[in-house]
Amino acid sequence: MNLLQSTLNNAFISISRNKLINFLSFGIIAFTLLIFGIFNYLSYSLETFANEFSKNIEAIFYFKDNVEQPEIDLLLKKLKESLLVEDVTFSSRDQAEIAFSRQFPELKYILSEFKTSPFPASIEVKFKQEYNIGTKVISFIEDIEKLSIIESKQVNLDWAQKVMAIKKFISLVGMFLSMILIFVSAFIIFNLIKLNIFYRKEEINIYRLVGATDWYIKIPFIIEGALLGFFGSIMACGLLFITLKLFPAYATFMYNIFKDMISFKNIPLILFLRLLLLGTGIGLLSSYISVRQFLKN
Amino acid sequence: MIEFYHVFKQYVKDQYALFDISLSIQKGEFVFLTGASGAGKSTLLKLIFKEELPSKGQILVNSSNINLIPQKELYLLRRDIGIVFQDFKLLANRTVYENVAIPLVVRGEKKSAIDKMVIKVLAQVGLSHRKNYFPTHISGGEQQRVAIARAIVGNPKIVIADEPTGNLDTELSIEVFRIFEKINANGITTIIATHDLHLLNMFPKRTLKLEQGKFTSSTPTGPAEVTL
Ligand SMILES: Nc1ncnc2c1ncn2[C@@H]1O[C@H](COP(=O)(O)OP(=O)(O)O)[C@@H](O)[C@H]1O
Ligand SMILES: [Mg+2]
Repeated sequence: MNLLQSTLNNAFISISRNKLINFLSFGIIAFTLLIFGIFNYLSYSLETFANEFSKNIEAIFYFKDNVEQPEIDLLLKKLKESLLVEDVTFSSRDQAEIAFSRQFPELKYILSEFKTSPFPASIEVKFKQEYNIGTKVISFIEDIEKLSIIESKQVNLDWAQKVMAIKKFISLVGMFLSMILIFVSAFIIFNLIKLNIFYRKEEINIYRLVGATDWYIKIPFIIEGALLGFFGSIMACGLLFITLKLFPAYATFMYNIFKDMISFKNIPLILFLRLLLLGTGIGLLSSYISVRQFLKN
Repeated sequence: MIEFYHVFKQYVKDQYALFDISLSIQKGEFVFLTGASGAGKSTLLKLIFKEELPSKGQILVNSSNINLIPQKELYLLRRDIGIVFQDFKLLANRTVYENVAIPLVVRGEKKSAIDKMVIKVLAQVGLSHRKNYFPTHISGGEQQRVAIARAIVGNPKIVIADEPTGNLDTELSIEVFRIFEKINANGITTIIATHDLHLLNMFPKRTLKLEQGKFTSSTPTGPAEVTL
C-alpha cells in the first residue's frame, strides 16, 4: 500500500512540476479525443438517421423469365426464415396479369395480344420495423439483388443508402484525422515522459544505488502518462458534451433540416467510455515506450 | 565477503584505472583504502556495488559473483551495501528525514517502520534536531552525516564511504570516523577510501594502498587475520 501511495505521489509531483508542458500535452490529448469523439458521434448519428429513415422498407424483386418454381420456392423459404423480414408475398406471372387488368380495366385489351402473361413473377418483401436494423436490411437487399434468378428490384430506400454512403465517408475522414492526432498526442506524451526522466535523473540514480527495483523506478512515469491520458479524455468528454449540446441550438437557427437529420438528443454513453479508454491507453502506451527507451539502466 | 580476482578496469583504451587487483575482505572487517588522487580508489569502490563493471576479472560479494547478477536483481546487491558518496548525493528538495528514509521507502516499508528506523539512525549520527531541515540549510559536516545515516538506515551488511572527510576539518573528520567505528562495531563490514594520512595514523586499521591502479608492494591484500 505504501509503495502504491508513494508511486502515485511521485507521479502527481512530477505532473505539477512541469506545468506548462503538462498543460500543453493535456490540451492536445483533449483536442485529439474531442475530434475523435465528434466524428464518432457524427457517424453514429448518421447511422441512427439511416435506420430511422429505413423504417417501412418494402422491396419488390422481379425474377428473370426462365426461372423455375423450385428456385423461387427456395428463395421464398430463405426470406421467410430471415429475422429481418416481416412478410413475403409471391405473385406469379398470371397473378400479375390479373392484378394489372383489375387495376386498369380499360387497358385489358392490350393483354389479349400476348399468349402468356407479359409480366415477370415477383416477390414483395416487407421488412420489420425494428429500430437499428435499417443498415442490415440494406445489405440484405443488396445480397438478394445479386442472385442470378433476380432480374431487377424496386426499393423505397435511396435516401437511406445515400446517408449510409455519407456515413462511411465521414467515418473514413474521422479515422484518418484521429489517427494523425493520436500519433501526435502519443509523440508529445512520449517526449514529456522523456523530459521528466532527464529532469529526475539524479533522483533515479540515487534510487537505483539504494536498491530500488526497476519497476519501482519505471512505474511512476508510466502512471504519469496514463493519468495525463485519463484526465485529457475526461476533459474531452466534457468538451464533447458541451459541443453536442450547443451545436444543435446553432443548427436550429441555421439549418432546420440538418438538425432534424442528426438527432443530438441522446449521446451514447459508450462513446464517452471509448474516449476514456482510448485516452488512458494512449497515455499508458506512449509513456511505457518512453520508459523502455530512456530508463534502460 | 568481498573478493577480487585479478581485476582490471579500463575507462579508456591502454589506460588502466585498476591493474590486476586481487583482494579479500572478511565479514565485519574495517578497511581503509588509500592512495593519491587518481590512484583508483573510487573506481575500486564502484566495482563493489556494480556501478562500474570490471574490464577483466571476477568480483565476489557475499559469495556471489556480481558479474553474473542480472540487471533485474541488482537491487538485491544494492540493498546489502550502504554507500556514502563523495558528493553525498542528497536530494535538495527533500528534508533530512526524507533523504534518510529513501532506502526504506523504495523497499516499500511501512510508514511506522520507516519512522522508527530513521529516528534511530538520525540519533546515531547526532542529527535528530535537523530532521526537518533541507540539505542546503545545514553545514557540510551535517550533510556528511545525513549521507552516513542514509547509508546505514537499511541495515546493510557492508558500508562503503568514498572520502567521507574530504571537505571537513580535522575535528569533524575525527567525529565522522568515530561514527564509522561504531557502525563497524555492530558487525558491518566497513570500507573507507581516504587520503588523509593524519587520520590513518589516528585510527590504525588494515590499509590497502593504491598507486596508479595497483596495490603497492607492501600492501597486504589478504584478510586482516592472515596478515596479523
Ligand atoms: N568515468 C570515467 N571515465 C574515464 N576515466 C575515468 C572515469 N572515472 C575515473 N577515471 C580515471 O580513472 C583513474 C582513477 O580514478 P578514480 O578511481 O576516481 O581515482 P581516485 O578515486 O583514487 O581519485 C583516473 O585516472 C581517472 O581519470
Ligand atoms: Mg575518488
